Amino acid sequence: MKNKMKSKRYALLLATALTVSAVLAGCGGGKSAGNVAAGDSGARNTGGSGEQVTISHYTIDSEDRTFIEKLIPDFEKAHPNIKVKVEKAPYEQFDSKLQTLIAGGNSPDVTSHYGYGGFAEYYNKDMLLDLTDLIQEDGFKAEDYHIPENLMKIYTVNGHTYGIPVNMYVTLMLYNKDMFNAAGVSYPPSDYEDKSWTFDRMVEDAKKMTLVSDDIAKTQYGVDFTWAERDMRPLYFGAEPYSEDTWTNGGVPSETHFDSPEVIAAYQKLFDLVFKEKVSPTSEWSKSVAGQNGDPFVAGKIGMSIGGSWNLAGANDFPFKIGVAAVPWGGNDKVRSTLFVDPLLILKDSKHPKEAFEWIKYLMTTEVQEKSIELSGGNPPVNTEAAEVYYKHFDGIDPEDVKKVYEGAVKYGYESYNHLITNYSQINDMFINELQPVETGHKTLKEVMPVIQKKVTEIIKR
Amino acid sequence: MSVIKSESRRQTFYMYLFISPWLVGFLIFALYPILSSLYYSFTDYDIIHPPRFIGLANYTEMFHNELFWRSVKVTLRYTFISVPVQLLLGLGFALLLHQTIPWRGFFRTAMYFPSMVSGVAMSLLWYWIFNPQIGLFNYMLSWFGIHGPAWLMNPDTALYALIIMSLWTAGSGMILFLAGLQGVPASLIEAANLDGAGRFRIFLNITLPMISPVLLFQLIMGLIDSFQVFTQAFVMTQGGPNYSTWFYVYNLYTSAFKEYRAGYSSALAWVLLIVVMLFTAVIMRLSRRYVHYEGGSSR
Amino acid sequence: MSTVKATRPLDPSPRLRRRIKPVKIASFTALLVTTFLMLLPLFFMVSTSLKSKREMLKFPPTFLPESWALRNYVDIFETLQFGTLYKNSLIIAGFSVFGTLLSSALVAYGFARYRGRGNNFWFILLLSTMMLPYPAIMIPQFVLFSKMQWIDTFLPLIVPAFFGSAYNIFLLRQFFSTLPEELFDAGRIDGCGELRMWRTIALPLSAPALATVAIFAFIYSWNDLLTPVLYLSSSDKFTLPVGMASLTSSRFRIPPWHLLMVASVLAMVPIVTLFAIAQKQFVEGIVLTGIK
Repeated sequence: MKNKMKSKRYALLLATALTVSAVLAGCGGGKSAGNVAAGDSGARNTGGSGEQVTISHYTIDSEDRTFIEKLIPDFEKAHPNIKVKVEKAPYEQFDSKLQTLIAGGNSPDVTSHYGYGGFAEYYNKDMLLDLTDLIQEDGFKAEDYHIPENLMKIYTVNGHTYGIPVNMYVTLMLYNKDMFNAAGVSYPPSDYEDKSWTFDRMVEDAKKMTLVSDDIAKTQYGVDFTWAERDMRPLYFGAEPYSEDTWTNGGVPSETHFDSPEVIAAYQKLFDLVFKEKVSPTSEWSKSVAGQNGDPFVAGKIGMSIGGSWNLAGANDFPFKIGVAAVPWGGNDKVRSTLFVDPLLILKDSKHPKEAFEWIKYLMTTEVQEKSIELSGGNPPVNTEAAEVYYKHFDGIDPEDVKKVYEGAVKYGYESYNHLITNYSQINDMFINELQPVETGHKTLKEVMPVIQKKVTEIIKR
Repeated sequence: MSVIKSESRRQTFYMYLFISPWLVGFLIFALYPILSSLYYSFTDYDIIHPPRFIGLANYTEMFHNELFWRSVKVTLRYTFISVPVQLLLGLGFALLLHQTIPWRGFFRTAMYFPSMVSGVAMSLLWYWIFNPQIGLFNYMLSWFGIHGPAWLMNPDTALYALIIMSLWTAGSGMILFLAGLQGVPASLIEAANLDGAGRFRIFLNITLPMISPVLLFQLIMGLIDSFQVFTQAFVMTQGGPNYSTWFYVYNLYTSAFKEYRAGYSSALAWVLLIVVMLFTAVIMRLSRRYVHYEGGSSR
Repeated sequence: MSTVKATRPLDPSPRLRRRIKPVKIASFTALLVTTFLMLLPLFFMVSTSLKSKREMLKFPPTFLPESWALRNYVDIFETLQFGTLYKNSLIIAGFSVFGTLLSSALVAYGFARYRGRGNNFWFILLLSTMMLPYPAIMIPQFVLFSKMQWIDTFLPLIVPAFFGSAYNIFLLRQFFSTLPEELFDAGRIDGCGELRMWRTIALPLSAPALATVAIFAFIYSWNDLLTPVLYLSSSDKFTLPVGMASLTSSRFRIPPWHLLMVASVLAMVPIVTLFAIAQKQFVEGIVLTGIK
């Protein structure tokens, strides 16, 4: 009896499986043909108002990005015909999902360059919508949103605007006040105009705080100089690895100079911090202390850390007191900091660019930019009015210092190469791998730089 | 004659009836993506613009591509070390745990444990275990007076660190072998035992042939999987340091999603398919002599 | 069917048991040592999951938590919509396991027991579907599911399982092939239909293999990250791995590793439970071993 029932159940299951497959086979063939159009009109008609459209904003699935979901209700109230949907992916899958969405005809409307590559990569792959006409039609003016004109220019190529800057990180110095106090060294200045604050003085200060011991718990270093991406670092000392035309034609350099004596000398100065002056940790030590992508500064093992201002975000959790300071002068009178300006972009395949632009404008208003600082846990706005709120965001750090460091960075800053140069994710991968033997002291710069020069040339030609 | 004919027709009928779910699924879900990727492999396709036919150019390019050859070397070295060692470990654990031994259930669960943990947690853990300064691995080596290398941060050892990591998941091999060992008739072993055969002889002449189908399965799947190693390189080493863990599929993935070259990437995929297919065919052919299927007539 | 005799597998005779005792002591010791190594991850995960955010920044890291932050296990529900993620993952994994078991067992039986025309061809095709790396078919597969209007539903994560998974089909085929032909002859003489023989002979005899498939299918679906990332877009449909990845996704924040470990520990509960149940199949599962 029991057996019979069981056999019936299995037969039923098999039948179900076969039926399901038959049904699916039918529906797979039937629906596919007219589907794209159907989906389209579906989106248009939701709500029955006839005009309502849904736009999607594609971003990274982390709290400091997805906070925009909280801004949607107010926006939709003000724009009853527009619905906003936030589409997200973890950082590691950001690029692959974006490309898959575009290839699959499901392109998002609004996004930013949060993946491996930057703006130039998207621009050169022809993924972006030229916003110039939209801006003109709309009468959008950067100054109404307190966006500095020089920042607007970053994402303008040959007079055509492709992105509206929304957030701006800069390169700055964080220092561990406890370590300075213990070594009796005076704090570094936050004023970029202080001429006494030089690279050499930084090295002298660092020496007083460096302590290399057999006891790993005691070892600490004076300075960790991770200024910008690896290929950009020569610029700090005034050496230019990419030809001038790179910045005007969408990030395709006609020439690169990674094997020039100036560039090699610049890198040499940085590696000297590790191998000659011995005031900076090796990359192996840093990774041992901080893990794969971590920063040994947060473990309290570094006196001064030159890095992105995102390091500030964790400041409230550090078990020691910190301060912010200017990046010291290193021989380049024009450039001392790096800007990491994230733009809002509209993708070429967007079906509703106008509505997408409405949403972008909304995100740029002073009120929303101010609100975003709190909601995101400290994202720095480009809106100079909202920036005042940002400067006050960090416990225990003088807002005046943050302000000076930011304003100095804007004055003496250059946009990070990773946003400006084409095929950048490949260049970056190549740099990390080829420089590795130098970082461990197994090869010299003179051996490695010509190889890098050759490979950069190949990558750019692709 | 007609009996044989109708018997073969009956076999064909039932075979297709039973495999029909997969056949249908293959036609609906797999055929289109597979054929598409084959087509892409002959095109210049950057995902944004429509593919453009370029013949065999993608295939000829890879033979001059330095990273391609590097990835082949890395992948082959990984495969030829990790597959056999994993098999032996899996079999060893299974034999140990097939005995009646105290805490057997606990041991089995514990052995399989590392295979259950996934993703980020595992990579964080391994990063700490291989940490040259404070890592457990070098700490244990120091008991034997060995000064351990920097493992994941050293181009000479990173690949071996990943191989050692892969051994932690020998537990899945173990449960497959355990399942296989359940099918070895106790009566056979008892009989051999009464004949005075030693443990090793029994293993070699009875157990091994009886579990050879499982062994074959694991060998082939081990090969297919390790030729496609990706996650470790993607999450832990990003192909580095100095390209020492630039695996074949990592290269394929970067070609597609970092370089926007889906055409070239598809060509890489098809070369992999053909190579793995050849390996599998050779193993299948060789195995005919050694692998023992009980249901003789069906083979 | 009554002619089939049940025995416990490999239960050695008393005489044998006495002889192999030293071997057992050695085995036991070897097992203890390996188990220690294998359980390190668990220790590490649990210990980290109980550390405070600030303690996570310490170097060298502490071995045991300084103050046991049990609160982390509450916080995870506030940081992530953990309940929803868990439920979604369970639904998807549950259907996947059911679908995989049913379909793979049928298909594998077809491949193993019948020498139909084209058997080899289809089998090689089945194997070859595993040899093409996923990134190569990711985009066209997305196009396909998008045409079916399956985007942002669980369907792409569940339905394919009902059409057999190549890996598990191959696995079960190997097991079905080891079943003695005599059993089926006997079944046939008893007048069993083919489907009935599948159910009453092949399936019970392959219980350990089916348990293995269930475990593999569950873990595969439970830990899968890439497919849900591609196909799901509404947060209320996200799965556990997606939520966990989001914890470490910010490049601008210090990741809450302690919470990630809490999530990892909690994520293991269903797998360990399933395994503890399934592994009994290898201990207590009575295997039918032959015909008298």
